[in-house]
Amino acid sequence: MTEHPRDYIKPELMACCGAREIADGDVVVVGTGFPTMSANIAKHTHAPRAVMMQESGVYDARPRRPALSVGDACLNPGAAMIGGLTDVMGMFLQGGWVDVGFLSGSQVDRFGNLNTTCIGPYDRPKNRLPGSGGANPIGALAKRCLIIVQHDPKRLPARVDFITTPGYIDGPGAREKWGLPRGTGPHVIITNKAVLRFDPDTKEAYLASYHPGSTIDEIRAATGWDLRVADDVHETEPPGAEELKTIREVLDPNRMIRIYEGKGYV
Amino acid sequence: MSKVMTMREAIADHVADGDFVYIGGYVCRTPFAAVHEMIRQRKKDLTITRGNAADDFDMMIGAGVVKRFYSTFISLGMYGLARCYRRSLEKGIPHKIEVEEYTNLSLPMMLMAGAMGMPFIPVKDMVGTDLLNIKGFLGDGKYKLIDSPFDGAPVLLAPALHPDVGIIHVQQADEDGNAQIWGIGGDCKWGANAAKKVIVSCERIVSREVVGKDPSRTIVPDFKVCAVVEEPFASHPGYTPGFYDIDFGFGYLYQQASNTVEGFEAFLKEWVYDLPDRAAYLQHYIDRFGYAQFRRLQAKFDYGYPVSYEY
Repeated sequence: MTEHPRDYIKPELMACCGAREIADGDVVVVGTGFPTMSANIAKHTHAPRAVMMQESGVYDARPRRPALSVGDACLNPGAAMIGGLTDVMGMFLQGGWVDVGFLSGSQVDRFGNLNTTCIGPYDRPKNRLPGSGGANPIGALAKRCLIIVQHDPKRLPARVDFITTPGYIDGPGAREKWGLPRGTGPHVIITNKAVLRFDPDTKEAYLASYHPGSTIDEIRAATGWDLRVADDVHETEPPGAEELKTIREVLDPNRMIRIYEGKGYV
Repeated sequence: MSKVMTMREAIADHVADGDFVYIGGYVCRTPFAAVHEMIRQRKKDLTITRGNAADDFDMMIGAGVVKRFYSTFISLGMYGLARCYRRSLEKGIPHKIEVEEYTNLSLPMMLMAGAMGMPFIPVKDMVGTDLLNIKGFLGDGKYKLIDSPFDGAPVLLAPALHPDVGIIHVQQADEDGNAQIWGIGGDCKWGANAAKKVIVSCERIVSREVVGKDPSRTIVPDFKVCAVVEEPFASHPGYTPGFYDIDFGFGYLYQQASNTVEGFEAFLKEWVYDLPDRAAYLQHYIDRFGYAQFRRLQAKFDYGYPVSYEY
């Protein structure tokens, strides 16, 4: 029986939700923050042979401090391989080798499309955001995308203002129509309130589990579409003792994960 | 023949108003000294590009030297959204730049195509998204969507890019321009080789014999290079593996300064316009923050062979 200490914070729970989606042996493209934390938790627990790469060109880094960007100096010494963008994004991702990608955005919609381009009209943006970066190709080409977002109706609208990164686009058959590789697409949306998964027939995200302290009604009210609820909906399993020990004693002794409290962006 | 010159000479002689300039870097080996010199010389109407742009591009946009930007992404990393970029697109300050948007897969592939002499390159991303619905200064030349002549499947073609000049910062180069790097590459190998000529800034100039000790590290051969500038600490506040670490404190300083137009102008005056060159920049850094802080940025000495990746 797994022990579940009660003193965890929400970002730790979200990082563990991400870790549980990673299988042993998976090739994972990570950013910083949550994705790296999740992949490392997985490596230290159930997926010791999972491997990580950063889009900047790094494979299997061994950083001595938490990386603060995917180009961080600490990713260089000790890595197994370093090239550039066309190595990781081209040779590995477009080449079809990447199992898991992490994504985040200012908006995520019911089909798992993401917006990191602009709020408001493109030509006269209310807020101009950074753009795609590696998100679009990861969303297009990784076998399973894990999406992390803060749970509120503005960030989870029925339809994003701008599709920067493809989820299931406008529903069943759309990815196939555009020629995106078979067996790719968004897999799960992890929020600070819940875990959403995608219906295999409608491609729409539904409520799979609610985090301890959140209710189904509260989550549905905080979602921008009429969120369907799984027949077997249940409480999200809290972080286990081993997962928390890994986070606090091995990965993040300075507790930098606290900066993600109240924030959805990775 | 030696191509060694000062950054002022390199930028004055080899970057013309209206040029299309590739600027390498990925926090790693950002050619910041060259970026400051282009701003100092008040270049006009430049088109700029690289995958994953950051504070250096934001500064050029805010300084008004940029007309067009082949973009994939621009932010201040852990310090959030790029302030000058936002002001340009949201409010037209100092003017609204024109943007053509690609991704961190497609744009490096377009530079690779340019370097390889290919007219265009098929890419598997961008389809099905609004990136196909927005077209900037390339208009219909942004991409072509065709049915593959091989199997009929839909294929997106993106054009090859041919910058007028590529600017990269490297660890070491010889006087003729054979340029050697180690550590995170971003797209600098393709960007430099796609360009018609290359300005190389380096931490140290070494002999041709030293280059020959480890020739597989050379990413640009001398015949493509028009200028070699020895410019230690040229990437600051970015880093160069084996030489110095990222200056996170300076990143915060830039974020705070660029929050407002006035703050940004004061930053440019202090760190660019009022300083003649990189040596003066370093002296000003030491005067302002102390020699101990400057030393803290320097990499730990490492006996590792053949090169050090320390920070």
